[in-house]
Amino acid sequence: MENTYFDRAHLWGKIWSLAALGMLFCIPVSFGLYYNVWPAAAGVMKGLLAVLPMFWTIAIVEVISYAPMLGVGGMYISFVSGNISNLKLPCAIAAMENAKVRANTEEGEVITTIATASSAIATTVIIAAGVLVFSPIMPYLTNDDSVFAPAFQQVLPALFGALGASYFAKHFKLTLLPLLTGVIVLIFAPTMGAGTLIPITVIVSLISAQIMFKKNLV
Amino acid sequence: MRTGDFKTGTFMYLLGTFVVVFVIAQSLFFIIKAWKQGKRLGIPTADMRNTVTSSILFTVAPAIAIVATVLTLAKSLGIVLPWIRLSVIGNISYEVTAAESALNALGVSAGLSQVVTDKSQFAAIMWVTSIGSCFPLILMPLILKKIQRKIGTVAKSNAKWADIMAAAAFIGLISAFIARAIIGAGKTDTVGDGAGVLSVATLIFSIVTMLILEKLTKKFNLKALEPFTMPLSMILAMCVAMVLAQILPADIAILEWRG
Repeated sequence: MENTYFDRAHLWGKIWSLAALGMLFCIPVSFGLYYNVWPAAAGVMKGLLAVLPMFWTIAIVEVISYAPMLGVGGMYISFVSGNISNLKLPCAIAAMENAKVRANTEEGEVITTIATASSAIATTVIIAAGVLVFSPIMPYLTNDDSVFAPAFQQVLPALFGALGASYFAKHFKLTLLPLLTGVIVLIFAPTMGAGTLIPITVIVSLISAQIMFKKNLV
Repeated sequence: MRTGDFKTGTFMYLLGTFVVVFVIAQSLFFIIKAWKQGKRLGIPTADMRNTVTSSILFTVAPAIAIVATVLTLAKSLGIVLPWIRLSVIGNISYEVTAAESALNALGVSAGLSQVVTDKSQFAAIMWVTSIGSCFPLILMPLILKKIQRKIGTVAKSNAKWADIMAAAAFIGLISAFIARAIIGAGKTDTVGDGAGVLSVATLIFSIVTMLILEKLTKKFNLKALEPFTMPLSMILAMCVAMVLAQILPADIAILEWRG
């Protein structure tokens, strides 16, 4: 059987995922060993019961819905470094747009991998620098009473406005229904978070695109 | 049992450093592999270099916003655990929910609004946040290849359809965030996180700037500027939010129509 780049990327990704799993649990285990502190299993279980059904369901939805957009390398990198919908995914989409490559092609795979990995490194370094070096001055940038605070509070509208502009201009017909759906859902459920809203707007967008494609409207 | 500030002691910093090294090592590994593959495919080195530069620029502002959330959680958990948690599978809404849930399960009803001083409570938070967030790492090795193989087969057999569906998926994602900026509610105790004057002004300015910059780069053939149009639009729109907050009357600047 042919061993393609995609096959190799999956193999590397699986190895890194298992290593990441080990690294993730190394943190509470080593803290427990170092300080000889082991929380009551019943307390941990009770805490988990309240969040696991939601977290693990979201994980399934996210893995399935991000897979077509992030490619192989992008998926394995993003799900280790986190902040996917608000950072890695827009970064990958923007990079494909700039490089004029398509998702789900070999070129798209290379570009999304480079984009998500660069973003992951930059995020990790900035957070580490913010914590280790700049923590005394960070509050001046990010505190509620800082002059810079409104800028950081509006990161997402700024980011998705820029990203949306070029997509919406190119695919205007595809845009109307998902955007309208998002607005209508939020009229009735204003506190719904982006994590819950994304699967709804993505599914509506895919269904309406499929119908328009069949009717030769796009 | 060891004493001292267990939340910000050297040991915790060592754990944080370990996480940082791991995430960077994984990313570097994939960049090197993708770069070599890109050369094999004939992707111009300039395109790959531009991807790195524009992705880093694109990341700076959101990453600083993430640092802000680390600092918010630091009041209760010390600075190192939020740093670790937001560096690996991190997401502020997950972390806060999981940590609150762990504390509530242990009978601490005040949750993260109080300072965690008990090692056992701290360890419980570590376990709940780790187990709560680990599922994608188990799931991906099991199902990702099958999903993507299927997508690849379909994409190859009908490229036009695949392109439209990929665009539709992106648009669905972007629509959710734009709808939230237009009409979503924030937390009742936080100013600036709900839809209001600033979010809509930022959104509109970002869209308009992006469209103008795209037109300019095309009209004057400014190829070098192309990769930077998006980060530039984003940063300029954030600056507008900052300026508006200063020049608008306070009751208008903080107006959020859904709370």
